[in-house]
Amino acid sequence: MTVAPAPAGRDRRTPDGRRSRRSSTPWNQRLAPYLLVLPNMAIFGVFILYPAVNGFNISRFDSTNARTFTPVGTQNYERLFSDAEFFDAARATAIFVFAFVVLSTVLSIALALLLTQPIKGRTFFRAAFFLPVLLSPVVVGLIWSWILERQSGALNSLLGGIGLPEPGWLVDGPLALGVTIFVGTWMHVGFYTLIMMAGLQAIDQSYYEAARMDGATSWQQFRHITLPLLRPTMFVVIILSMIAGFQAFDFIYTLTGGGPLGATTLMVQYIYEHAFRTPIQYGLAAAGSVILFVTIFGLTVLNFLYGRRKESV
Amino acid sequence: MRRAAAVGFALTAVLLAGCSPGSSDDGGGGGGAPNKLVFVTFTDGPDKATTEALVKQFERDNGVTVELQFLPFSELEQQLQGRLASNNVPDVIRTQNLQPFRDDLLDLKSAGQDVANQYLDEAQKAIKNKDGAAVALPSDLTMNGPMVNKDAFAKAGIPLPPVDKPWTWDELITNAKAAQKAVGSPFAIAYDKSGHRLSSMLNQYGTDFYGADGKVALDQGKATAALGKFVELTQQNAISKDFWIESGTKYKGANDIFISGDAPLYISGNWQVGQFDKAIKFNWAAIPNPCAARCGGYPGGKFMAAFKRSANPPLAAKLVAFMNSRAAQEKFAIEAQFLPTRKDLIAEGVKYAVRPADMAVFLADVKRTDPASYASNYNPGFSPTATELVKQLARSIAGQQSIGDTVNAVRTAAQKNLDAAGK
Repeated sequence: MTVAPAPAGRDRRTPDGRRSRRSSTPWNQRLAPYLLVLPNMAIFGVFILYPAVNGFNISRFDSTNARTFTPVGTQNYERLFSDAEFFDAARATAIFVFAFVVLSTVLSIALALLLTQPIKGRTFFRAAFFLPVLLSPVVVGLIWSWILERQSGALNSLLGGIGLPEPGWLVDGPLALGVTIFVGTWMHVGFYTLIMMAGLQAIDQSYYEAARMDGATSWQQFRHITLPLLRPTMFVVIILSMIAGFQAFDFIYTLTGGGPLGATTLMVQYIYEHAFRTPIQYGLAAAGSVILFVTIFGLTVLNFLYGRRKESV
Repeated sequence: MRRAAAVGFALTAVLLAGCSPGSSDDGGGGGGAPNKLVFVTFTDGPDKATTEALVKQFERDNGVTVELQFLPFSELEQQLQGRLASNNVPDVIRTQNLQPFRDDLLDLKSAGQDVANQYLDEAQKAIKNKDGAAVALPSDLTMNGPMVNKDAFAKAGIPLPPVDKPWTWDELITNAKAAQKAVGSPFAIAYDKSGHRLSSMLNQYGTDFYGADGKVALDQGKATAALGKFVELTQQNAISKDFWIESGTKYKGANDIFISGDAPLYISGNWQVGQFDKAIKFNWAAIPNPCAARCGGYPGGKFMAAFKRSANPPLAAKLVAFMNSRAAQEKFAIEAQFLPTRKDLIAEGVKYAVRPADMAVFLADVKRTDPASYASNYNPGFSPTATELVKQLARSIAGQQSIGDTVNAVRTAAQKNLDAAGK
């Protein structure tokens, strides 16, 4: 059987002979949705799309003043890949993002489960866990740096007071990276908990009632009802925390300044320092931005595809 | 529709990627109206009122308007680069580093201000462009040097050195440690985390990043001796190790360590005098720089310049000359403890109203300072090399690399920065 091609012009019909909805809708109604999204798209285009594309463009040039640009082809990328500091920043970023995503996801599920129980002071605890989300990241960094300062910080004063060792929380490289992961998680987990709570509340209680009638334990209910039905929400939290992890900068900058000796310098700070600190190297910084963009974009797409596959299964 | 959107996106991307980034340098910029100037500067604090008063006087004398913009010192270069790129160029600037803007600056002589030869001979090379034209004036000279908590040294029973008999480096360290012990402070010495301030020590040990011929001159043995001594002090925690490896310290600057009484001796420079006069509650004083192979301090300073793209170049050049006239520099010196750069003021001397004895110590060190240090400090590769020195030295302090490797890395950076500046 052959299907006749659709007639040209406005009078388009579907294969079963009905007139298409598109041609029957007046042009002004068809245009309206696009006009409604136009302001947002214009802002997106000017402040996100254009800088992103132009960033790729700048990465092909060498510039120390943003006025004179010398074409260098792929040299900026070659320099990045031969720079030990870039690999240090990439490694620190990978550790930070992985730990931050895992901790944020696990803790937000745990907290959401606790805070949806009928416990005493539930509203207070919800507010307490959400409070750090409202604080400025710069303030968070400063406060924690005062608490964790080796010689006169509040924590070490307390530890010293009870005869315990006083670690160099922000002076020892691996410890400092651990601290930034902890502070980042502390700062964001309240928000992710809120999302998880919304996900938990959307699960139909009748599943649990049926499971209880069949004698399912709490763990079995969590494993076979909560986790599978919470998967779309977890997917959102993983994506959001992953992006937040890759973009982490402000609180780390005030907490450790990227130190000690670059141990907590993540990709964003590496890019910032090459773009805005002497000697300025815009092309190199732009190449770093492109790599960061490709990494986040690639991981997000992978996550998205994995999530869709799981949903279809 | 999705295909059309994809095609549109791809076309946009291709068009954008095909363009050379940046904007044209032609035209535009300047303060706008010919009778209005934009003057971008920064302040260390005490000089702010003096700058404002002088600008007001210039406005009155010339019937013009000057928009005075104070930017944070740390953001100055980045902001000026951005403004140059977006054709929002100020008319006049005061900056520490002329190198990134040298090709954009106005030839002061061609704009009617042939005054450059009235300033320090040592700064003449630094204020000229590639064609040998003076494009800036040295607006003040700075001199690195130590300051002490007199109460702490008195408690330790240590007399301070007279202006003409500086301590050696070893004496300075021994005495600072004794004062630290006497008052129980956490550290003996607070030292600015700055490659420029470390250059004092390098110079006192007999070496510099660059020589008078403009070539890299860092001597391996001398630099290793100086930096080795410094690292040893951090290992003993006589100088805060945490502060130098850039993390886990409450101090934002070494001046915090000194002001809070956490170190009895502070190595910085004369620009602190005006601030300390108001901020410090204990008795303090400037003492002469310590000697090793050489005595004396290390020079630095700021420059004032006008941009070629000013809407009124003669007026912009006039403001630069006015702000660095004899009367203006004298006012800055008296009110903000600046050291003058004008030959006439240097020859006649300045009568400082605030803490004249301390300023006399810095002036005495100016005379003892090795002339070659000016050549190194004003070399176009100096600023990024000084930054690299701090970074590399922090690795030695943390035990990640030897002092020798640090010196090698700094030498390599000095050459690379020199080559980059010459491009």
